[in-house]
Amino acid sequence: MDVLLNLTINGIATGSLIFLLAAGLTLIFGLMHVLNFAHGALFAWGAYFGVWIYTQTDSFLVGILGAIVIGGLLGWLLERWIIQPVYTNTMSQIQVTMGLLLVMNECLKVFFGPNQVSVRLPDYLDQSWLLGGVILIKYRLFVIAIGILVFLGVQYMLKRTRLGLIVRAGVMNKEMVQALGINIKKVFLYVFILGSSMAALGGMLFAPYSGVIHAGIGMDYGILAFIVVVIGGMGSIVGSAMAALLVGVLGAFMTYFVPSVALAVNMLLMFGVLMFRPAGLFGR
Amino acid sequence: MKTNWLVSSRLWMGMAAILLIGFPFVSDSRSALILLTQIFIYAVFAMSYDILLGYTGIISFGHAMFFGIGAYTTAIFLHRWDHTMLAFLVSLLVVLVLTGIVSYLIGVMTLRLKSHFYAMLTLAVAGLFLVLAEKWRDLTKGSDGFTFYIPDVLKDRTTLYFASFFFMIIMFFLLKRFTDSPTGKVLQAIRENEQRTESLGYQILHYKIIASVVAGLAAGMSGSMYAITLRFVNTAVFGTNVTLDALLMTIVGGVGTLFGSIVGSALILLVHAGLTDLAKIHWIFERWMIFFGALYILAVMFFPQGVVGMLRQWKEKWKRA
Amino acid sequence: MTLLKVDRIETYIGQYHILQGVSFEVKQGEVTVLLGRNGAGKTTTLRSLMGLNPISTGSITFKGESIHHLPTYEIARKGIGYVPEDQGVFPDLTIEENIRLAMQKSDDATLERRDWILNLFPDLKTFWKKPSGLLSGGQKQMLAIARACVNDNELLLIDEPSKGLAPIMVEKVMNVLQEMKDRVTVVLVEQNFYMASTIGDGYYIIDDGRTVHSGQMAELKVNESLKKEYLGIA
Repeated sequence: MDVLLNLTINGIATGSLIFLLAAGLTLIFGLMHVLNFAHGALFAWGAYFGVWIYTQTDSFLVGILGAIVIGGLLGWLLERWIIQPVYTNTMSQIQVTMGLLLVMNECLKVFFGPNQVSVRLPDYLDQSWLLGGVILIKYRLFVIAIGILVFLGVQYMLKRTRLGLIVRAGVMNKEMVQALGINIKKVFLYVFILGSSMAALGGMLFAPYSGVIHAGIGMDYGILAFIVVVIGGMGSIVGSAMAALLVGVLGAFMTYFVPSVALAVNMLLMFGVLMFRPAGLFGR
Repeated sequence: MKTNWLVSSRLWMGMAAILLIGFPFVSDSRSALILLTQIFIYAVFAMSYDILLGYTGIISFGHAMFFGIGAYTTAIFLHRWDHTMLAFLVSLLVVLVLTGIVSYLIGVMTLRLKSHFYAMLTLAVAGLFLVLAEKWRDLTKGSDGFTFYIPDVLKDRTTLYFASFFFMIIMFFLLKRFTDSPTGKVLQAIRENEQRTESLGYQILHYKIIASVVAGLAAGMSGSMYAITLRFVNTAVFGTNVTLDALLMTIVGGVGTLFGSIVGSALILLVHAGLTDLAKIHWIFERWMIFFGALYILAVMFFPQGVVGMLRQWKEKWKRA
Repeated sequence: MTLLKVDRIETYIGQYHILQGVSFEVKQGEVTVLLGRNGAGKTTTLRSLMGLNPISTGSITFKGESIHHLPTYEIARKGIGYVPEDQGVFPDLTIEENIRLAMQKSDDATLERRDWILNLFPDLKTFWKKPSGLLSGGQKQMLAIARACVNDNELLLIDEPSKGLAPIMVEKVMNVLQEMKDRVTVVLVEQNFYMASTIGDGYYIIDDGRTVHSGQMAELKVNESLKKEYLGIA
């Protein structure tokens, strides 16, 4: 019983991390119809640069802020110089973003060396409580809390701000948004920056969660985030949040009980969804 | 129409072929021979990718799975059964059956999807094969891989060179024939305008599956040959990089030309060899993927017609002048 | 005074040469009707004016300023409202959100215009907080017109407002357009000849991507041969 509870909490924490990555992916796809294969690379960059800043300044919080800023900056550069020229050409878009994933991963190896980097938590987050047989690890709760905060923040943005209104309208009909006098390209840029910083934040939080980071995490978690986005329905934040929890918890249980098929289960789930419910499990 | 020997591509191809046939007799550079052998084999893999990308307009990020299936099947046959020509030929047959089945199944299940999803799904499926190769240790010895003996006939580097060369030539003409066939024409129509082709009464999915199977078969064969040249196999053959190499070669050489894949393969592998040499001078050249990746992005964005496409454009201009 | 001048514009969509020379002028305060058969290029003309299908040659001058090189959103901000054929309402947004999205400013003048237009369309107020996807075809049309009027637009481009509407709704939409006439200039694409002839001042006939005929609506009403030739109205 306690094992199950622990696994669930573990899974929710992993789900929160995947959500941070999937949220940007789904928003960007929903609004711009760009499936950004390089999204996972932003996760990895967030992890590496966040950790680097963390070790330089000796402050975990500064590291987190640094990761967010770097993610946003990268998002701005990528959108402006790489994504924008290929908006209307799906084939080029897929190829260019994939190439980008590769280049960005290689860059990490150049900057930080090809070997994996180990990361330690700051003492104040490195605690756990024993609560009637259930181990509550502080950092996991911290990750879950940030996941919830970001979820609420994105929801607030979508439902209560003008930017969110434009995003929701743009998902339905981009031409009409522009015919109403709104510069949707600017909104694309904002959304891309937002998505990129969330991905980088996810990577930074992941680093001490797993203890080690390597350049391959971009690809690994990118695929997980994609699975989540498909299951949750492209463009749906709520769907992505639920799917991230599902994939996270399912993953935690699978890794514990039948580790060899953990990834396969998620893949099959995605396959099934794409075959039979292409709008996603939680879509309409 | 003015005929000009300078722009006759057949003539150039013929001359290149003669040079390549003569090469082993004038050069005794072992490394050059091995490099050329690799170029031939990668050219077949890139051509198989061109069937998808250039002729049908499909982007797969999992094409390495067929390459890997080919490499592992041949390696396992030679290692477990016998290192004879018979074992090798049987393994080729098995490769054709396996890649045929896998490409057909994957095609049926995923080619209905939009290009984004297809690309992502193939990436993920290839990832599964990689995991499978790592976990099925009894058969694959995990990620370390294993070495094996190859048939004595092929042990001689020159023989292998010619075998690979003719392998490439044969595959080129077979695939050329395929793309010139009525089926190939339909595929190109799909690439140009999927909706219109569908409204003409063609079953898009059916034709895309054919393309996927043909590409899968050719890729599988190139994987077999690749394993033979290395006499070693490990999980790297399933890596995404392998697929991206093919993508890069096809793009740089020129999509939808087949011949461009050969040019692309030569260019990329020659540059790769050059960069590897430079790595002795500066470590940054060890990370040659950065250069290729950047080259690839630039090629897609600014140079979509590739080398052969560009030469053809020049040729057209020359003819008109 | 000429508000909009369209001079020999040509537009390609993909490889198709849709507009092959469309020219017309719109006088301030008038309703100019574009007539023509299905597929003649009327919708594409409006889309080209909005920059949604950019023109390849020719020029579009609005208030003496050439606008055809501008992106869609800047054209809209020059003071042109657009009501597309499918109304372009955002079904998941409420009516209030649809209107709020359209409001480029929230100053008193804009709010005043909003209240004025909502008084013309009381239905919209009734369903104010409901998703606009639930509205009927006629109500969606009203929402789309309201959205185009809420900014200080001098020109409205309206694509077939009567399409798919019951006769009583057509009447309603017509009345509203009549009422707006002293506020805005309108370019109207309309197949419903009754509506076109009732509210239109000048007309242009587009055929095979070209303007082939023009004049005053009053003359067209009695010119049976012209109506038959280009509009298929006996």
